[in-house]
Amino acid sequence: MKKVGVFVCHCGTNISQTVNCEHLAEVAKDMPGVVFSTEYKYMCSDPGQTMIKKAIEEHNLDRVVVAACSPRMHEATFRKCLSGTDLNPYLLEIANIREQCSWVHSDKNKATAKAEDLISMSVAKALKNESLTPSVIPIHKRALVIGGGIAGIQAALDIADTGYQVDLLEREPSIGGKMAQIDKTFPTMDCSACILTPKMVDASQHPNITIIASSEVEKVEGYVGNFDVTIRRKATCVDPIKCTGCGLCSQKCPAKTDSEFECGMSKRPAIYSPFPQAIPNIPIIDQTACRYFQTGKCKICQRICTADAINFEDQDELVTIRYGAIVVATGYALYDHRDKYGEYGYGQYTDVITGLDFERLVNASGPTMGKIKRPSDGQEPKTVVFIKCVGSRDATKGHEYCSRACCMYTAKHATMVRDKIKDSQAIVFYMDIRTPGKNYEEFYLRAVEEYGVTYVRGRVSRIYMENGKLIIQGEDTILGTQVIVEADMVVLATAMEAQPDATEFARKLGITFDQNNFFNEAHPKLRPVETFAAGIYLAGACQGPKDIPDTVAQAGAAAAKVVALLSKDEMTTEPIIADVNINRCSGCGFCVPVCPYKAISLKTLTERVHGSVAWGPTGREVTRQVAEVNKGLCQGCGACTVNCRASALDLLGFTNEQILAEVDAL
Amino acid sequence: MNENIIQVPDKSGISKIMREIAGDLLRQQTISLVIGWEKGILPNKSAPAFITQSQDAEKLIFDEYCYHNLTKYLLQRKGSGLKTAIFVKGCDSRSLVGLIQDNQIAREDICIIGISCPGLMEERNIVIPAKKCEICYTSVPVEYDFLIDCPETKTANDEPGGSYAHRELPRVENMTLDQRNIYWQKMFENCIRCYACRNTCPVCSCKECCFDQANPTWLGKGNSTSDNGFYHLVRAMHVAGRCVGCGECERVCPMNLPVMLLNNKLSLSIEELFDEPPASLSLDVTATLNHFKPDDPEEFM
Amino acid sequence: MTNQPLADNPNTSGQEWDPKILVFACQYCTYAGADLAGLSRLQYPTTTRVIRVPCSGRTNPQFVIRAFQKGFDGVLVAGCHPGDCHFATGNYFTRRRYLLMTRLMEFVGMDPRRFRVCWISGSEGPKFQQVVTELTDAIRPLGPNQKLRDIEPSVIGGISR
Repeated sequence: MKKVGVFVCHCGTNISQTVNCEHLAEVAKDMPGVVFSTEYKYMCSDPGQTMIKKAIEEHNLDRVVVAACSPRMHEATFRKCLSGTDLNPYLLEIANIREQCSWVHSDKNKATAKAEDLISMSVAKALKNESLTPSVIPIHKRALVIGGGIAGIQAALDIADTGYQVDLLEREPSIGGKMAQIDKTFPTMDCSACILTPKMVDASQHPNITIIASSEVEKVEGYVGNFDVTIRRKATCVDPIKCTGCGLCSQKCPAKTDSEFECGMSKRPAIYSPFPQAIPNIPIIDQTACRYFQTGKCKICQRICTADAINFEDQDELVTIRYGAIVVATGYALYDHRDKYGEYGYGQYTDVITGLDFERLVNASGPTMGKIKRPSDGQEPKTVVFIKCVGSRDATKGHEYCSRACCMYTAKHATMVRDKIKDSQAIVFYMDIRTPGKNYEEFYLRAVEEYGVTYVRGRVSRIYMENGKLIIQGEDTILGTQVIVEADMVVLATAMEAQPDATEFARKLGITFDQNNFFNEAHPKLRPVETFAAGIYLAGACQGPKDIPDTVAQAGAAAAKVVALLSKDEMTTEPIIADVNINRCSGCGFCVPVCPYKAISLKTLTERVHGSVAWGPTGREVTRQVAEVNKGLCQGCGACTVNCRASALDLLGFTNEQILAEVDAL
Repeated sequence: MNENIIQVPDKSGISKIMREIAGDLLRQQTISLVIGWEKGILPNKSAPAFITQSQDAEKLIFDEYCYHNLTKYLLQRKGSGLKTAIFVKGCDSRSLVGLIQDNQIAREDICIIGISCPGLMEERNIVIPAKKCEICYTSVPVEYDFLIDCPETKTANDEPGGSYAHRELPRVENMTLDQRNIYWQKMFENCIRCYACRNTCPVCSCKECCFDQANPTWLGKGNSTSDNGFYHLVRAMHVAGRCVGCGECERVCPMNLPVMLLNNKLSLSIEELFDEPPASLSLDVTATLNHFKPDDPEEFM
Repeated sequence: MTNQPLADNPNTSGQEWDPKILVFACQYCTYAGADLAGLSRLQYPTTTRVIRVPCSGRTNPQFVIRAFQKGFDGVLVAGCHPGDCHFATGNYFTRRRYLLMTRLMEFVGMDPRRFRVCWISGSEGPKFQQVVTELTDAIRPLGPNQKLRDIEPSVIGGISR
């Protein structure tokens, strides 16, 4: 026989002024299962809690109902009180007679009657409560950072500095990401390489960081604290241990192809490092360009390599490594205007370039050695037109969102044109100027006032060629006139967008993405670097467009979360989680797609059947699938329980029986 | 789906091809059981047939009284790895797809012999077409390994919900709330809760039905109108987005209750609300309640 | 206890009839909204009994039918606004399921004024007050619910209809 104790709190006069607490304590005695009830002025106070503990001991109570304020207020307090006794803290129920009764009603009779019902419901539920124990999962103290751009590098450094091992995974041959391609950074005009490359070197020399380049995530299994990540190391045909990075092979390689790093504006050999400061500085063979792989003859690199590092037989390798936490820092892609913006020539004009192309054009180590020359004929452009919001803030052709960095880098580009080219003109077509950052507005004003950049508010409707000039036709919405500009070069501020494989990647990890395929944070304000998958964090533009300062800040935040997790040897998880009754489970798997945390999977059982299988032999084993809940991943929402027709899944702490008892109590 | 389509000159030729295919399959010994139909004791009732020997394949027939949906028999061999061949009409094939989607049978364990269905006759009144044929979406099976194609194939009803639903649904929908209440109250009163509708339903594939459970007790053991109402409403919700409209529930009801109507109502609501095709027309679709769209209709602001 | 007509409650006899309304409130939004109504001392009728669930997605339609069986005169299922679910997607499934459920209930003759689904966030204390008040006012003229109810009509003869 279960023994329930009911404790009615007056909360000073907060409850007792509209609810007759003495009466409640009296009628509670007659409720089924109740063996003791009392009331007190402040149940949450020390004397109140002592009273509960004493009553548990004296009356051998095995369930406790506290009628007081909202469980959101003091459930934790009273659970703690119970854990100081022989009772399991989850044998407690709270009847909310303050926020949802005394404070919202004035008729004392009616409020007391309602409070009585609320207590009955809590008692009925408490009778069905069971002891619950948190489960403990070990934390593997190693982190994986996916993506070696500035976000990933920063996160890896911050984690490594606290003493934990980090693997930094990069699919390209070198870390550095987009920032390595950028020339200068706004608003300070620091040289991008000057601030990035030291960090790259730090990462490569850090004793706690292992850089895994030319590699991608193949598969992620497991859960917080225990992710088993299978990594595909792509065949590079160069042994990273033997290679000294002398670069002779690249010099002698006869095959040439467009350099991705230089945005196709110069050539690179088939065996290459993407840029001189690459880390790791080990070249790889691009099999699509390599003469040996294409024709079966050449092998010059192998012949001249003194370290014997070239291996044409190299194959992709899969390795599985366990991590406690994962930082996703996979960055962004640039919107391709060529197939959408017919009015900008669908990419047929070589002198209509993107912002990133421009970065390479002004970079001292770029294809033009820092001289701004237009791609078509190498002439110095005198008039350069910049068009902003190409693919951003344009729901019909591109994306509805603002890419956040374009206003600033366009101001930077225009400044550089005015600075580097004598008698030049820089004209910016814009929709709005957005400069919400420290010293950003000042930077923009400097572009206008000191450098004399012309800003025209309006969209460009068409670009066409006439007499070897690009004619830009647009409107000035401030003056309300048509504008026609003859220009030598046009730079498009194309939108930042999610990586093309973002959704596929998200599914691999079990994280969610938004309507633009950027990865979802767990809460837009309060959990900005967490994902819904415990133990997986976000850094940088994979979560949404952002500039370098914001990216670095977010990377640091993600690192702090990782370190907080790894600093524990094990973590306890809430015991309010889904539970499978495998005897009832038919393995239909309807619970699997409704779980937001991918916490449910199907496992196969083998059973002996009694007698024979219908129209079959006797003594045969049959297999069947049943649901299995991962205690580390389940967050206890209960969505699966409703989609389970057979009630094979139940939510501990809010079981079907408990809720039905509450419904039936009145 | 492969190209094993066998044309027959008319529907009287279906039985012969069935016997040939079944005999061949059993002789090859990869398949240990063929489920089809045989002549019943009464002329208007054909019975399920379970053939394990190739010589017994001669028993198989197809006529306008083969209304049994045989697919649920497959559950009795679930997980055994034994291969079964099964004959399906268009409507039956959808429940087969449903069972595969519900992870109850493995596609590779079954050989589906489809019959493009020339239509059935009503069981209790053999001169009118069967009610289940009036809500037919597809007389040609949606999934098969062999197809016996017959020129008299009954044209599938393209109207959403079919004519039966079109006739009966609006009639009930146009009643006042109280009239509707009385209509259903009468049904719930007359229901003897024999569970025949559940037992025959091919998408009711749970290992242990919630109505049979003691913990929690969803349903009392006695026969109360209120509990009967609970039973029918909950069953309708459980098959929502999964019901294939095979009409077996209503056919087997000993009290002649309009059991199918609740399911039709929800099937139509699903089409209207979520713009989703009827359940289990192909293996690639997800059940309605297993997914959502952020821009589903919003009525709860 | 279950079969006692609710109108016989001594505290309400002789006064205007009060319906009993069961509320399923998700603990992150609606339950918090109801608490906020309390903190703000917003007054509403004493008709509601709240059952706290972790997410509106935990509210099985079977609980709702059971509530009507056991004599509740109205049921409110409430959770976070779509897009705000603490568990990311729970309320989207709730919305789908209950779009069907409301149609089914109406189809079998349940007055739609007795059964409501509503999104009430943790900051919408006033909305909780408003919804509960509206629901009470809508149900009061309908009288006690008989439909699906688990008592034979003769037993509830004393209730004015």
